[in-house]
Amino acid sequence: MIEQRVFGAWFRSPVLLASGTCGYGQEYADLIDLESLGGLVTKAVSLEPRPGNAPHRVAETAGGMVNAIGLENPGLAGFIATKLPWLRDNLSKAQVLVNVVGRSVDDYAAVVSGLDEEDGFLGYEINVSCPNVKGGTMFGTNPAALAELVRRIRGETDRPLIVKLTPNVADVGEFAMVCEEEGADGLSAINTFPGMVVDTASRRPLIGNRSGGVSGPAILPMGVHATWRARQCSSLPVIGVGGIRSALDAMQYIMAGACLVQVGTASFVDPMAAVRVSEGLAALVEAAPERSIGDLVGSLDDA
Amino acid sequence: MEPLRRRARLLSGRLVARDTWWMEFDCPEIAAGALPGQFVMLGKGLGDPLTWMLPRPFSVGLTRPGGQVGILIRAYGEGSRALCRVREGDSLVMLGPLGRGFSTDQPAECVAGGVGLAPFIFLADWYRRHDLPVRLIYGERDGGAVFDPGFIARLTGCEPEIFTEDGSHGRRGRVLEALSRDSAANSLLMGCGPSGMLRALAEHAVRVGRRLEVSVEEHMGCGVGTCQGCVVRGAGGDWIKSCIAGPVFDAADLDWDRAGGR
Repeated sequence: MIEQRVFGAWFRSPVLLASGTCGYGQEYADLIDLESLGGLVTKAVSLEPRPGNAPHRVAETAGGMVNAIGLENPGLAGFIATKLPWLRDNLSKAQVLVNVVGRSVDDYAAVVSGLDEEDGFLGYEINVSCPNVKGGTMFGTNPAALAELVRRIRGETDRPLIVKLTPNVADVGEFAMVCEEEGADGLSAINTFPGMVVDTASRRPLIGNRSGGVSGPAILPMGVHATWRARQCSSLPVIGVGGIRSALDAMQYIMAGACLVQVGTASFVDPMAAVRVSEGLAALVEAAPERSIGDLVGSLDDA
Repeated sequence: MEPLRRRARLLSGRLVARDTWWMEFDCPEIAAGALPGQFVMLGKGLGDPLTWMLPRPFSVGLTRPGGQVGILIRAYGEGSRALCRVREGDSLVMLGPLGRGFSTDQPAECVAGGVGLAPFIFLADWYRRHDLPVRLIYGERDGGAVFDPGFIARLTGCEPEIFTEDGSHGRRGRVLEALSRDSAANSLLMGCGPSGMLRALAEHAVRVGRRLEVSVEEHMGCGVGTCQGCVVRGAGGDWIKSCIAGPVFDAADLDWDRAGGR
């Protein structure tokens, strides 16, 4: 039994597709059955369209990759006109979270208030942690700024409000507490780590933006730790994300306290990765004495 | 055709130039649907937890009625080297056919640099089967890297005109010289190769007023439009995903002055 009720909605599987790795859903519709998953988190949506960064935008690393896409997206109006209708018309079982990004508190609030009356999605994942745009991590690394942001967005919506934490802080737990105090409904842990790849032939950074975010299996233990730490410091549900390739990877997050997980970079290696993780989790849960995913959440014996 | 993800067994792999392998995989469904200029993502999948590797894009180098897909792989880095080391009988994971290919309805003059030859092997063979004339111009900076001309002729039925900058194979000089001296202006010009060569080709096409289609190469994450990693600069200044809007573009649709963005 891997179905769960979280954020007031049914998730038929604990596995979602992570923001930035599944476009706006439609891109993967020919390759995977999105409805078999718990859902997906869209590519970030900002108030105004963003062109994104100059190439190269991606580079492979040992155990992962670096990306600096630069939050390329069609903006709020473009998202409502060109992306949301497909999600609304094609997904009825899979839950959709819209990833929201902004340069200022007003930006975030405008995106959320502009979307709130629309159909086709469950709630928001607030991106306070993108390392690839100027000022992108400010909210995620400053407790006072994060508090102000979450408070403001909370005032704009009654939908589920999930904050995607950055790992680039001394203690994720402190930020988890801030989110809970300001009325967030959940946390995603974690976003990418800043990284750089040097092209030794040209002596230049390989990535056009110079630096980018490191994702992939290399960051799995950091994500599991952040999940565990967030659950120690707050009672908010946590969505574990970072480096998941297999059902056992996902189970690490779940035992550490995540009720849902997201599969991201692994989808690039295998578009079916999330479906396989979901099927694998179903088998693991079936074999566990609890027989229910909810009972396995936070079942880590860390005494 | 919608892309398929299939295990592709390596039937044969042979060294055809320095660090460069021609590999034929058994993958009938992808072979049946692929068009010249389209590509596949080739990788190892997630099966083995110790071998993490992103899949890489490769032009479809040929398809055969028996269901084989031919791929030309030059070992540049760790990943391509790992793919070249795959043994006959072993399988890789192939996702494809992907992207938009070349026009295939008019006489073509194809200009290839290095492994940019790959899509034109397929295209020349396709043209032969459809009784359309094709001219194949192929250049390498370094004569030591030139493909065995017999290998190309066997696959395509077409004798390539070879250029090397050091003059050690074929004619000394660059591929563009073949065009400036002898230009069949009624045919469609096509290019695939290093960005400097493509840019020179695009300038030439503008100068002589010919239509040019180019196949571009960018770093790709997914190959299907989700990661937004593989963008090229469009003529209107916007970033265009080369995996789904390309990899073949009308050269007039790209911004050649700011193609690399920095």
